[in-house]
Amino acid sequence: MTVTTDLDLETREALAELVLSVADDEFVIGFWDSEWTGIAPMLEEDVATSSIAQDEIGHAKALYELLGELIGEEADHIAFGRDADGYRHASLLNHRRGDWAFSVARRYLYETADAVRLGALAHSAHEPLALLTGKMRREETYHLLHAEAWLRRLADASDEAPERLADAIRALWTDAQDVFAPLAGEEVLVRSGMLPIPMRALHADWQARVRPTLEPIAGSLPATAPSLDGRERRSDDFAWLHSEFTSVARTEERATW
Amino acid sequence: MTGTADRIWEVFRQEDEGAPMIHAGNVNAPDPELALHYAREFYGRRGESHRLWIVPREAITELDDPDLLKPPFDRSHKKPGGYIIKHKLEAAKQRALGETGE
Repeated sequence: MTVTTDLDLETREALAELVLSVADDEFVIGFWDSEWTGIAPMLEEDVATSSIAQDEIGHAKALYELLGELIGEEADHIAFGRDADGYRHASLLNHRRGDWAFSVARRYLYETADAVRLGALAHSAHEPLALLTGKMRREETYHLLHAEAWLRRLADASDEAPERLADAIRALWTDAQDVFAPLAGEEVLVRSGMLPIPMRALHADWQARVRPTLEPIAGSLPATAPSLDGRERRSDDFAWLHSEFTSVARTEERATW
Repeated sequence: MTGTADRIWEVFRQEDEGAPMIHAGNVNAPDPELALHYAREFYGRRGESHRLWIVPREAITELDDPDLLKPPFDRSHKKPGGYIIKHKLEAAKQRALGETGE
């Protein structure tokens, strides 16, 4: 395993924290949404949801490989070899999939936040990260279109869908902020241009972007900021998901599949 | 969600620029936007398509009347196989060679 050595230790650790946070977000939402495989509202949507979930796992894989080069560890081991407490996804992704409206609301919140974050990372001074996130952005464009399409449909429906959607948005709003939770080594990353825009500025961009869409659906949403432990709190829902997605890997650790 | 997916869209795909558009299959979707997303998932998610056309089935004018397509009379005089032009081509070629040779 090669280790990227042209960075000083402090920068490398900060960069690893950043890459891990994005990777875990993609990995965990990919697993949650794959919980719809076989039971989505219609066959075509079943294929689309499963395919998008698979795309996210693909992004996570590429990010874990990048991280592996930074810290000298195998991507598979980073993905499947940690205890539940070791994951650094945003608390937005601590919740189980819920009903369809809940999953649509979460996907919209996540995709919009991810788009803002990738927009900054695609200009990272760390070239491998800029290249990879630039590629991810191209695929996430479609994910975002699809999430927006469903958000509008549920919001404009005539049955109970708008109310369920509004409930889900209100339930997830506070935790959604945590996609922009401050990172331990953020100052170093901003100074070196590896994270070209600080998280708090990205957070402000994101809020300005989603409020005009979400408030007509869910009513006035409280002013709220990312929490300091927004990537450290783990839930029972996630503990269950973790036991599911590590179940095969745990049968034989360090096996070559 | 029954009742939301009551339209059928026929999907045509092109493998490379300039290649013919070939019928790939069809998807159910309530409107053009989701039809496009689903066509992308069914006929493009593996990178196998260069371009897709997504057409509402009701926009297609169908012709399958055997009286128009398979009339009961001998059609051989309408097929190119009815004319043997091999010898005529050969003669024309010789003539052309003779002219340039002069």
